Amino acid sequence: MVFLSLSCWIRSRGPDRYWKIQEIVKNAKHFRGRKNRCYSLAVKAVRRAFVYATKGRRLKKRYMRTLWISRIAAASREHGMKYPVLMHNLTKSSVQLNRRVISDMAITEPRSFLSLAKVARARQQEGFRAALGDGKEPVGVFSRVVLLQ
Amino acid sequence: MALCRGAGLLLRTLLPGNPLLFPAACRTQSSVSGVLVPWTSLTSPPWPEQMPPVCEVEDARRQAAVVSTVNGSIERQDYGRLFAVVHFASRQWKVTGEDLILIENHVEAGCGETIRMEKVLLVGAEDFTLVGRPLLGRDLVRVEATVIEKTESWPKVHMRFWKRHRYQRKMIIVQPQTVLRINSIELAPRLS
Repeated sequence: MVFLSLSCWIRSRGPDRYWKIQEIVKNAKHFRGRKNRCYSLAVKAVRRAFVYATKGRRLKKRYMRTLWISRIAAASREHGMKYPVLMHNLTKSSVQLNRRVISDMAITEPRSFLSLAKVARARQQEGFRAALGDGKEPVGVFSRVVLLQ
Repeated sequence: MALCRGAGLLLRTLLPGNPLLFPAACRTQSSVSGVLVPWTSLTSPPWPEQMPPVCEVEDARRQAAVVSTVNGSIERQDYGRLFAVVHFASRQWKVTGEDLILIENHVEAGCGETIRMEKVLLVGAEDFTLVGRPLLGRDLVRVEATVIEKTESWPKVHMRFWKRHRYQRKMIIVQPQTVLRINSIELAPRLS
């Protein structure tokens, strides 16, 4: 007997199911529990992981900047200055170093950081002297304040 | 006594907002004279009352001494290892000799070619620091680097997902990278 229609009943239902599943489950191999093996649980966990990674890449920039700022504040307080005073006076003296480099210098190059703090302090004193002046009115101005003193 | 008490009561009812008539703020005889105001953070200015006097002659002398010391050590080339802060590829890098830098974009130079980094913001040695405002001169510092490797980054996944809205998008981002090795940082003599 020859069965001719048997071969017509064999179907190929998607030859690459294994690789499609592995593509997702391989990203979950370091997870805990059944979500590192079972496809339906792994899909949800991997999706969350990718979304958290995407959001984390944006948040990392913010966290790093906060960290640099707090390090610079701590280092400047060791020299008797506050962070806003230091940064404002450095920008007024047109020193355009960013916070990452200044915090690295505060850790590894303390003497250079001290020199930056001195630059900022000198600019601050100059600003005070320019603002307070001699205590006299400018030429051509007559006011009761000076008379009463 | 009764008259003045009555007058006081009358005045109090007529002008209830007058602070001078409130008994808590009014003292007829006290050791402290003048306007009594509680001391707050804005009572006195935040800077110290007496500014240190400025002596321009002394300042000029000190500056000349510092400049001559630094000039002398630069001419004798006895400063040891130098570090520099360089502005390159829209980022600032704190750089010494022989160290590697990974830059997350394409640099217009082939592998093995030497690059000179011109935007130097700060140069420091053990005993002195040269701070640029904002940049140091091109004839003062020379920072040289070699391009070692040009690759691509590992494939990063950018995924967006809104729950209960059947929305998810997945994108793979591969960025070009360049690795530079800093060969040397050189200082030229003659500061003004």
